[in-house]
Order: sequence, then C-alpha cells, then structure tokens
Amino acid sequence: MVPTGSDKFHSMGSAPAITIHVPGPLRTYCAGAAQLSISAHTVRAALEDLQRNQAALYRNVCDETGTLRRHLNMFVNSDNVRDLNGVDTTLAAGDVVTILPAVSGG
Amino acid sequence: MADRIILTIGTKKGVFVADAAKPRRSFALRGPFGPGVPVYSTLIDTRGTPRLYASSCNPFFGMKVLRSTNMGKSFAETKSAPAFPKDDGRALVNIWALEAGGGKKELWCGVEPASLFRSHDGGDSWDLVPGISNHDHARKWQPGNGGLCMHTIIRDGNRVHLGISTGGHYLSEDGGETFRASNQGVGAGFAPDPYPEFGQCVHKIARHDDAPGRLYMQNHGGWADWTGPGGPRPDIGVLRSDDYGRSWRSIAKGLPSDFGFPIVVHPHDADTVYVVPLEGATRSCPSAAPAVWRSENGGESWSRVARGLPKKQSYFTVLRDAMDIDRLKAPALYFGTTTGQLWIGREGGEQWDCLFDSLPPIYNVKVAVV
Repeated sequence: MVPTGSDKFHSMGSAPAITIHVPGPLRTYCAGAAQLSISAHTVRAALEDLQRNQAALYRNVCDETGTLRRHLNMFVNSDNVRDLNGVDTTLAAGDVVTILPAVSGG
Repeated sequence: MADRIILTIGTKKGVFVADAAKPRRSFALRGPFGPGVPVYSTLIDTRGTPRLYASSCNPFFGMKVLRSTNMGKSFAETKSAPAFPKDDGRALVNIWALEAGGGKKELWCGVEPASLFRSHDGGDSWDLVPGISNHDHARKWQPGNGGLCMHTIIRDGNRVHLGISTGGHYLSEDGGETFRASNQGVGAGFAPDPYPEFGQCVHKIARHDDAPGRLYMQNHGGWADWTGPGGPRPDIGVLRSDDYGRSWRSIAKGLPSDFGFPIVVHPHDADTVYVVPLEGATRSCPSAAPAVWRSENGGESWSRVARGLPKKQSYFTVLRDAMDIDRLKAPALYFGTTTGQLWIGREGGEQWDCLFDSLPPIYNVKVAVV
C-alpha cells in the first residue's frame, strides 16, 4: 500500500483514512501500486488528492474538466457513487474506493 | 539510402507495424502496440531519424500519444497528450490526425471535439491552437457519424488546410494564426441550404507538393436522390480546387457513387487521384464488389482498378485514413478494411493482393520509404 499526500482536513487530523483500489491497467501510472492509502472526507476530495499527488493516475480517471471518465465507475465499498451522492459522497474511516472500467466502454 | 517500406496500421485493437524490402514481396508484421485500444491516427515522421507516432484512444482512460524511436519495435507514451485547458469546458474524446510540422520536432494534432493542437517537442507537450479551436464557428459545428472530428491537416508554407466533419474546409494563410471557412462549391446534403458557409461533412482532403494550388476533396456525397428542402444534390461528393482551396468544383461524374471516405494523390503526378466509391447506405462498394477508382486527368474521367480484389459479396468499408500510397518509382497503394484486411495495389493499383487478412478493423494506414 502506497501512502500519498493528504487533503487539507487530513493535515488537521480530521479526514478519515480510506483505501483506493487501482485497477491493473492503471497501476503503471502510480508506480505499480494496487492500493493507495489517503485521507479524504468525500470522493471529490479523494480525487483532488489524486490530482495533487498522483497526477498521471488522475488524468486516466478524470478528463480535463475534472469529470470522472464516462466509461469508468467508482465504488465506495460495494455501491457505485452514481447511486449515492456522486463525487460528493462522504467517506468514513476504513472505506474502500474502487475504480473499475465499465463494460460500456467496449 | 532509403531502402525499406514501412507501414503503420491503426486498428480497433492497437497499432501494427509492417515492413518490407523495396520489392515489397513480403511484409513482416509486428504488434499490436497499445493492445486492445483503438488507434485512429498514425504518423511516420521521416525528419531525421524516423519516428513513428500513434494515437491511442482509450475509451476508459483517455487519450495517449505513443512514440517509437526504433522503427516500431516498441512504443512508449509521450510525456503528455493534447488536453483542453481546464476552464475550456471541452474534454478530449479522440485523436484523429497527427502530422509533421516545421523544424524537426513540431507536430500538429487534430482531435475530437474538432480542435487543433501543436507540439514543439515531438509530442511531449501540447498547446491548443486558438485560431481554429476557438473559432466563432467552433461551437456550431455538429458531429458526423464518426464524431466531431478534425481529421485532415495539410501544411503548405503559411497555408494550412483543415478538414472537419462536420465543419467543412478551413484555410489559414498566416501559418495557423487565423482561419476562415473556405467552402465555396462544397455542398452539404443534410441541411436545407445546399451550399452553406460551413458545416459540410468533409471526409478527406489531399494535395500534391508539386501543385500546391490543387486540392482534392472527398466530401459526404450520396445526395442525388434527396427530396427534402433544397432539392437533390448530385455529385457533391468528389471535388477539386485549383485556387488553394478558396473554391471547389465537382469532379464526381463517371464514378459509380460520389460517396466515400479516402482520397489519395499519386506521389509523382498531381493529375492522378484515387478514391473508393461506396454506397451511402451500406458504406460498402457498389454491388459488393470492391474497387478503387483512378483518374489520371485530375478528375475529368475515372477508371476502375480492381484486378485481384474480391468480385462479389464483400461488404467492408475503407475509412477516411485507411488508404495511402508509397513514393517508389512505381508506387503501390495500400488500403485497410473494416473487416481487417490490408491490401496492396501494385503498379499504382493495377494488381491487388491481400497482405494480411485477419487484422482487427482497420482505421488508419500510413506508408513511408525509410
């Protein structure tokens, strides 16, 4: 598990620690890591953390407008964030965020 | 001394590279590189030590530009791919054109949604070209069946010709700083106005170095029987300009269909031009009998060159960037099909042979002598 930077809340010690699972094709963009350990209050904050600390990985997950790529899904534990509150879905300590290619991409 | 023929073949499942000695008897194939990812554009950059480029258009993870410095034995991603500024609001969907620019490392790149990027360092960094990407018309262009793509970039000194589907032909005469729609005589079949200022579904544009004022265009034809507003528009599909693209006239008479995608000019004769007429409904050759059609007088008349090609029951499409011609003394044509065959037409298309018959669907074929 590769620790990365933390969001602004984390520096105050208040953001929950979560784990991001990285799919195989994207591990080359984060030094081969299958999991990343970060702290973030929301999925949006988690993505912002990736943007700051794993820029190459972030570019594969979000387009240049900051939108999650169309054929990717993000899950918080077993729920797709699209069925929750999107990128504003809140995170709790121990949550697992999984990035997965959708079957819609071909 | 140049002594090998090299082909880059962009497919639905990655880019392949094939090469052969000059007689072109046997091509060796390697790849796919960027496996499983569609490649809509390739470039064989022969400035200095040859470099190969391929766009890798990943539907999951976005766009990459691949580069090979060892003649296609391996490819690696450049440091970055074109991307819109964050506050632009547009996001890159696809990369449709890669062309060599000035100097030894400048590259030009046409993308979807239709915009132009330029790199000064061989593809490691990219800048948006605002003169066309932020043109007053840019937000009015509409996607064609393949998306809203900038697929043709032709440089001629300070002139730059761009082909956009559906946007039409745009011309710069100041090196790409500013552009204007230049579509006089270019018809559109899907709008009430048959000759709009812009918005035509241009499929491909080609020119010859020895005749820079002459351009050929494969436009979206197939509107001879249109009965809607504005009436029928026969022969708007294959066009020619003799004034650097300021105006265009039809050269489609004599073809079995004015619909098609690629258009290619003979490397040693600006009057010889090749097209692949397709039926609009099926995007396959008339009567399902594939054929390239050749004009040797600038489009005044056409002849069918199909010896060796299937005679029936072939329903493949040859897409806009899937045909090219090499520069040997007796040049060979090459085209790839949506059913994964790569054909070579020796002696300028006189005799066709299938080089590879089970590749993935082919989007792009480029050839160079290196």
